[in-house]
Amino acid sequence: MAALGTFTLLAAFVTCSYAIAASVAGARRGSRRLVESGVGALYLVAGLLTAASAVILHAFVSSDYSIKYVQRYSDAALPLFYKLTSYWGGLDGSLLFWAFLLSVFGSFAVLFNRERQRDLIPYVVATIAAVEMFFLFLMIIHNDPFQTFLVERPADGRGLNPLLQNFYMAIHPPALYIGFVGMTIPFAFGLAALMTGRLDDSWLRAVRRWTMVSWFFLSFGLVLGMLWAYEELGWGGYWGWDPVENAGLLPWFTATAFLHSVIVQERRAMLRVWNVTLVIVTFFLTIFGTFMTRSGVVQSVHAFGEDRALAWMFTVFMVVILVVSFGLVIHRLPLLRSRNELDSLVSREAAFLANNWILLFAAFLVLFATMFPTLSEAVTGDRLTVGPPFFNKWMAPIGLALLFLTGAGPLLAWRKSTPANLRQQFLWPLTFALAVSVAVVALGVRVWSSGLCFALSAFVAGTLWQEFWRGAHVRRATTKTDLLTALVGLVARSPRRYGGYLVHLGIVLMFLGFAGEAFKLSEQVLLKPGQRVSVGRYMVRHDAVRIDQDGQKQIVAGRVTVERDGRNIGEMRPARWFYKGREEEPTTEVAIRRGFAEDLYIVLAGYDAQPQSATYEITVNPLVNWIWAGFGILAIGTAIALMPESAFAFAVVRAPAHAAAATMILLLLLPAAVRAQHEEGPSFAAVTPRTELEKELYREIVCLCGTCGKKLIGECQCGYAAKMRDQVSRLVAEGRTREEIYRYFVVEYGSEEPLAAPLDRGFNRLAWSVPYLGGAGGLVLMIGVARRWSRRSANAAPESTSSTEADVRNGDAALEPTLEARVDDALRDID
Amino acid sequence: MLTPRGMRNKTAKIGLTSVVLAGALAALFYATLSEGTEYYKHVDEVMADPASWYGKRLQLHGFVVADSILRRRDSLDYQFRIESNGSVVSARYTGVVPDTFKDGAEVVVKGRLGPGGFEVERDGIMAKCPSKYEASR
Repeated sequence: MAALGTFTLLAAFVTCSYAIAASVAGARRGSRRLVESGVGALYLVAGLLTAASAVILHAFVSSDYSIKYVQRYSDAALPLFYKLTSYWGGLDGSLLFWAFLLSVFGSFAVLFNRERQRDLIPYVVATIAAVEMFFLFLMIIHNDPFQTFLVERPADGRGLNPLLQNFYMAIHPPALYIGFVGMTIPFAFGLAALMTGRLDDSWLRAVRRWTMVSWFFLSFGLVLGMLWAYEELGWGGYWGWDPVENAGLLPWFTATAFLHSVIVQERRAMLRVWNVTLVIVTFFLTIFGTFMTRSGVVQSVHAFGEDRALAWMFTVFMVVILVVSFGLVIHRLPLLRSRNELDSLVSREAAFLANNWILLFAAFLVLFATMFPTLSEAVTGDRLTVGPPFFNKWMAPIGLALLFLTGAGPLLAWRKSTPANLRQQFLWPLTFALAVSVAVVALGVRVWSSGLCFALSAFVAGTLWQEFWRGAHVRRATTKTDLLTALVGLVARSPRRYGGYLVHLGIVLMFLGFAGEAFKLSEQVLLKPGQRVSVGRYMVRHDAVRIDQDGQKQIVAGRVTVERDGRNIGEMRPARWFYKGREEEPTTEVAIRRGFAEDLYIVLAGYDAQPQSATYEITVNPLVNWIWAGFGILAIGTAIALMPESAFAFAVVRAPAHAAAATMILLLLLPAAVRAQHEEGPSFAAVTPRTELEKELYREIVCLCGTCGKKLIGECQCGYAAKMRDQVSRLVAEGRTREEIYRYFVVEYGSEEPLAAPLDRGFNRLAWSVPYLGGAGGLVLMIGVARRWSRRSANAAPESTSSTEADVRNGDAALEPTLEARVDDALRDID
Repeated sequence: MLTPRGMRNKTAKIGLTSVVLAGALAALFYATLSEGTEYYKHVDEVMADPASWYGKRLQLHGFVVADSILRRRDSLDYQFRIESNGSVVSARYTGVVPDTFKDGAEVVVKGRLGPGGFEVERDGIMAKCPSKYEASR
């Protein structure tokens, strides 16, 4: 199998080189067929790398320890889920994963755009294939994930680092990789536009969505990383300005800048050089980030280890990227001249420009500070490091300036804001900000940056509120529906604008969370049983240390009783897990009591089994959950911004009265209902069964909590499954046979539902399919209704526009009061 | 349209603004950098001339001397020695130590050196774990 894997890599390499040659030659000779064959070659590469991924996954699942990579990152005891995620657990595999994602993304990007962007496609294919070749080259020459042992194969693997055995680590790297790899697509289109000289805005239209999707995944990856650090690493924070974290943040800054400046190019045909530069820089930073983390140039807790040869290969590649792309930019400068000038500093363009400069400055600063130890060593010989305080000192004002622009930008008019419309636009948001400032001062908030952050957040919230409020009111007046339906219609008419506003709202919530960091309280104490310590409003009493065992690990847990404001609020159990064979690296299982206002976060830092004393690190983290909630809103906003306008067809014109209102209320109720059903237990890692029968039963009984989608209890992570596993263990320990255990579960749960495979009776099958049929039926019904609405609205469309026109004409005569507002709104959209 | 003269005027304005801004930023940068930096040194480099390092913020790299870790009963006060290339320095610390902090471990400690030894600041012990993400080769 390993040979097959290596072969697919070699074949993909050769195919890539063909793709480049064929598409470039095809474009130059004007041979459609040659270009098509290049595109075909790119698809073939995607196919080959999919096969390579299948080979490595198969090797993990079938425990083929003759492959070094498999042996190093898994062992027989590893649960299946983590065997699959080990694919990207190490350096070689993560390179393969990168190449695989790039080939798939590249193929889709080409597939979607091959008709619309016929002139660009050959060069897009060539660029993607060239980047692809670099990663394949790395694997073939240096980091072959399919390398086998030349000597006799070991009997078992070394196992995956326990820190990586959790849910966040399973989804955090792929999210980040998708974000990183996705940035190659805009780069490829940008480069193709430069090469062909077709530098009108069509290439931007092709990449806007891609950039947005990649940007979203990048944000998602970063937030998951924060969540992982917060919940698993147990140092009480979520961001430590570690080089690896910074590597993910750098392209995020420039991609954010691009998403904003692209609007300016679309509206005002300015900033063309700037946009193409941002695309190049973003791509460069993704490669640079990978270089930093993979080559050991920068020291970090979680770099992959030093590797000189790899560092050289990356350096050469990065130099090539810079020379080629900026060479092309300079070559095409005459074509990139902007058609307009900045008219005024008090305009939306200027706000966008300021936002871009600040974001770029932030990227530069983070890059500089991250590389500072390496740079200072090269220059002075002394290795100087800069820590989080330096970053915080600089990033706080930068973040606040961006926050201000988030609020001010949408209030400014394109081209030039007159004093009159400044007054009209800024009045309410500034009032909001002022009110909050007064409250901040009155409450005696000591930290200036946090106080300012609260005030600016109010400013932005005021802006957003005003935008939605005015827009919805104008729309209600023109379409004569209820406010909520008007709101949906408003969002539907320009999803990108209002989706973007929602993203801003999410960012505001996240900033509030960051501001809360300043009010963090933390205490490190050693407690004997019965001793207590108070942190903020909380009183924590240490009761005992308990040591438990399950198949895979030893669990040491501290039991503490917690009081808030003198009232007992329950017991918490921070723990450490010592995995078998990895006793040297216990994992920290933080006990977190989440709250709207603050989290109580307790880590068991050490213990003495004999006197039952324990060392705790107790932290009160204010507003942390706002960060995660803010990200949720950001995700919804991105989804809306990405939607094609036709998705809203039903709501854009006249939906049945109150339809939107009813739908919204239902949607809001939905998560509450789901939440009510599912009660998550403390996070359990997958459990190892003790006997063969138990193991089989784990695969034959499903979790009945109602929200896990009937996962097998051996795989399900929820607390309910743990309870069911306990039942199984107990019954097996009592010496019951399989049939008896089946019967027990049928009796206990009142039906055959817990059994994964129904006892073979005809009616059972039918009964089982009912929920699925119900679900499918609901889906069909929904689609049907949606289509009917759209059709009706399509009929209604001409009618309603004509009535609008009539309104306008009437309004002209009768000086309808809302007219002015409506015209204003329309102008804001058009101009 | 801008006249050539207007153009020159504009360029001068933009140029001046950027120079002033860049200057201000550079000054701020320098100021914060000198406060925020720490020297990254090995024990032997520092102990060659300890007095010259007194009071400076340091990240000291070395290995924990075997059997040197002492902890005061029922407290989080630690005392230990770290060495590299034959030079040894004693260190004091109060707080929670990482799991990987034990005899022979490779550590980086943050803090300041004084005549009485190295004072490690809070959360200032980073024990390196060679196989944090990559299993050792």
